Formats: sequence, C-alpha cells, structure tokens
Amino acid sequence: MKKLILSLFVFVFGYQLYGQTYNTFEPSKTQFMLRGYGHTGFEYMDSNDEAESTFLGLTYAPIFLYKHSDRLMFEAELEFKLEGNELEIGLEYADVMYVLNKNITVRAGKFLLPFGTFMERLHPAWINRLPNAPLGYGHDGIAPSSGIGVELRGAFDLGGPRLNYSIYSTNGPRLNDGSEEPEEAGILQFENFEDNNLAKAYGGRIGILPFSDSSAELGFSAYSTSGTGEEDSQYEDVGAFLFALDFSYVKPISPLKGIVDIKAQYNNSNVDTATFIEVHEDGDAEEYSFDNQSNSFYAQLSYRPTMVESDFMKKLEFVGRYSDFNAPEGAEWEEASVQYAFGLNYWLSWRSVIKLSYQTTETEGGHGADGITNTDGLFIHWAIGF
Amino acid sequence: MKSIHKITVTVASILVVLITIVACTSTKEVYTPVLEKEVADSDQEFKIEKSGAQLWGEVCNRCHIAPSPSDYNDTDWETISLHMRVRANLTEKESKKIEEFLKSAN
Repeated sequence: MKKLILSLFVFVFGYQLYGQTYNTFEPSKTQFMLRGYGHTGFEYMDSNDEAESTFLGLTYAPIFLYKHSDRLMFEAELEFKLEGNELEIGLEYADVMYVLNKNITVRAGKFLLPFGTFMERLHPAWINRLPNAPLGYGHDGIAPSSGIGVELRGAFDLGGPRLNYSIYSTNGPRLNDGSEEPEEAGILQFENFEDNNLAKAYGGRIGILPFSDSSAELGFSAYSTSGTGEEDSQYEDVGAFLFALDFSYVKPISPLKGIVDIKAQYNNSNVDTATFIEVHEDGDAEEYSFDNQSNSFYAQLSYRPTMVESDFMKKLEFVGRYSDFNAPEGAEWEEASVQYAFGLNYWLSWRSVIKLSYQTTETEGGHGADGITNTDGLFIHWAIGF
Repeated sequence: MKSIHKITVTVASILVVLITIVACTSTKEVYTPVLEKEVADSDQEFKIEKSGAQLWGEVCNRCHIAPSPSDYNDTDWETISLHMRVRANLTEKESKKIEEFLKSAN
C-alpha cells in the first residue's frame, strides 16, 4: 500500500514538476484588448450676454481591439455621451484590417477617413490639446470624419524621408435637399451608412515626412464623388469635390527647453450648384440657389517645457489655436466665424491631462441667424486615455 | 465637377496600380518580418539606422506624448503596435523597432 501511495505521489508530483519546468506558457497569437478614452469637466458659455454653465457627464469611448494574427485585426470604437437629457451612443468606427505586405494594408468597414489629420489622429480627448475641435469639424462641419467602404494604406521608407498614403472608396456623402430641414439645404451629410445612390466617393491622402527625425509632415487629401443626392431625384447628379492640406511639426528645441508642437489644416468643399426651395411663412414657395463652396482652417501652437528643472513646470503645456469657418453666401446656413482659443494643460501622466481653456468666437450668420454673435467660453476638462 | 471627379478617379486608379507594383516588387517575401538580430544588434543599428528608443521618442510624439513602456505587457504591446502601425500609417520597421523597445523596457 505504501509503495502504491508513494508511486502515485511521485507520479503526480513529478508530472506537475515536469509541466512547470517545460511548459513555456506561450501567449496566444489572438488577443483581445479594451482601450479607449473619456473626458468630463465643466463649461461656462456667454453668448451675447446670455450665460449658461454646466458640468459635463462623462463622455466614454471604449475601443475594442481583436488581434487575430500578426496581420489581421478588428477594431471598433463606441462613444457614450449625454446630450441634453438623453444618452447618445455612436459607432465611431468598426473595421477589419489586413496587412497584405510591408507596404500595403487593406481596411474595410466603417473607418476614420484620412481627410487631413485632425479627425483621424488628433480628435480623441486625451490627444487633442484643447477641449473641443476647431471650427469646421463635427456636426455641420465640412470635413468628413468617417465612411463605409474599403481602403488601401501604407508607408514607404525613402532612406530618411518617409511617405505614407491612403486610397479609399466609400458610400460617399448625402446631400441635404432641404425637404425635411430647409435651413440646412445644400449641406453634405457624411453619416451615410446606407447609400442613397449608385455613385461612390473616391479619395485619399498622401503625406510626406521630409526629415529623418519625423519632425515635420506635409499632407494633401482629396475626396470626390459624382453624385450626392437621392437616386432618381433632381439632386442625384450633384457632385462634390473636397480637398485638405495639413501640416505638422513636433520637435524638442533645446534653446526653448521644451517641445514645440505645430498643427494646421485647411479644408475646402465645393459642391455643384443646385436649386432648392424656400417656403415662406405665408406659404409661398421660392426657388433659390447659391455657389456651394465652404472652407475652414485652423493653426495650433503648443509648447511643453520638458527640459526645465522644475517637475511641476515639466508637466505644463501652453496652447494657442486660431480657426475659422466660411459657409456659402446665399445659403440658409451662410456663416463666417472666427475663433481664438487659449489653453493651459497639466499632464498627470502621458495619457491623462487637465485642460483649462478660454475661447472666444465671433459668428456672422449661421443657420438662419442674422447679425454677429460673440461667444466666450471657459472650459475645464479632465481627459484620460486607457 | 464631373471632370474633376473623373480626374480624381483616374489619379486614384493610377496610384493604386503604381503602389501595388512598387510594394510588391520591393518585397521579396509576401510579408517581411524584421529579424530579431536586426533589431537587437544595436551597435550596428546606431551606425546605420535609428534605435527603437529613438523612434519611440520621435514617432509617438507626432500625435501624443510617447507612452510609458511599463503600462502594458509584451502581448499588449504587440496588439497596440499593429493597431498604431495602421492608424498612424507607420512603416513596418518603425512599428517593429518601437515594439521591441517597449517590450524590452517594460
């Protein structure tokens, strides 16, 4: 009996010892990761002597990454935020990417469009140095942020300089014909999940980094479609051509004892002229048209004194941004806006920042409004990436 | 606008063909993994190319503050590396070298 127990003990113990010694516990090639970002804070706005202030509910944007292999990955980002008294849930992107070779990756699904760099790379709250986007982005903006389609992208090492590219085809934008929202007739809506016609949009971006230290990048983006209106409607063949120029310069500068970060982007939107209908209060209808061209621009300068001795000063960042937005003359949404934003950031870690910002915006017109509106805003945001 | 659209589509088509030709002819293998020796041989790398640590400081800071290596484990860095390679349009060598540095320093 003792021999039997001893044999069993040796077998079990020996097996465990062997397993622990020789099992390499190699990680699986597939991996799921939850990443993302969020922000919360306080805002005070004063518009033509009408003031309002509010604490912000947390905006939470989880990013789901599933690496199937060294070449295949799925990515999706949701966004939860309180808008008014309702919870808004948005799908920022959801796509699959496959690395074909070292220079080409194919993506398909809903993906962020490389129209310039702001919406694709810089808009997340923990990356954006100011609490909000420049003029011309977001709701009613002229820069497309995402699209449903297929894309080829990649980069080439030119022996110092580098070149990156992206070429894609998507469902394209939908023209607001004014039938439901007369005050927005002529605006391109990029949230076009179900295509409204047979015309697809084609576009791309080419970026060049001329210096070997990757400090500067110049980019040109284009986006074109031959039709934006509903199929079989008079707007079916209303085409659009958009382009953007972007610039980035990030470099540690010893005499300044810190890192200088410059970002700029110019967007231009040109939509074919179409005739819309304006219904007056007395019921009379009147046809009108306008030259449907819009543009926006922003330039941002930030500075982090990372080379000074004080630990407190190292975590500070000073930011200034100019942006403007011009919507077509003669449109119901005719607008000319200019914004100046100034910020002071305190970095708690590389992915967590407290932002204090003051912004002043002068808006002429805008969605049926007349005259000039001056809006001053004070923002305190805490953003964190994870 | 029709002519601009035709030009855009034509240019895009030509670019797709050119990129495909250049990408495929410049790649002997379908997918070229960066050899570990190539990455680890830092003495030789410094003479010819930048180290992963240098690239980590230069490339990541283009958009956001360079991440702390200790915040994720090796497996996480592999996933993040692939994600960032596509998102930020990095070259294969850049992303692999940065990944190797982060895994060695975490």
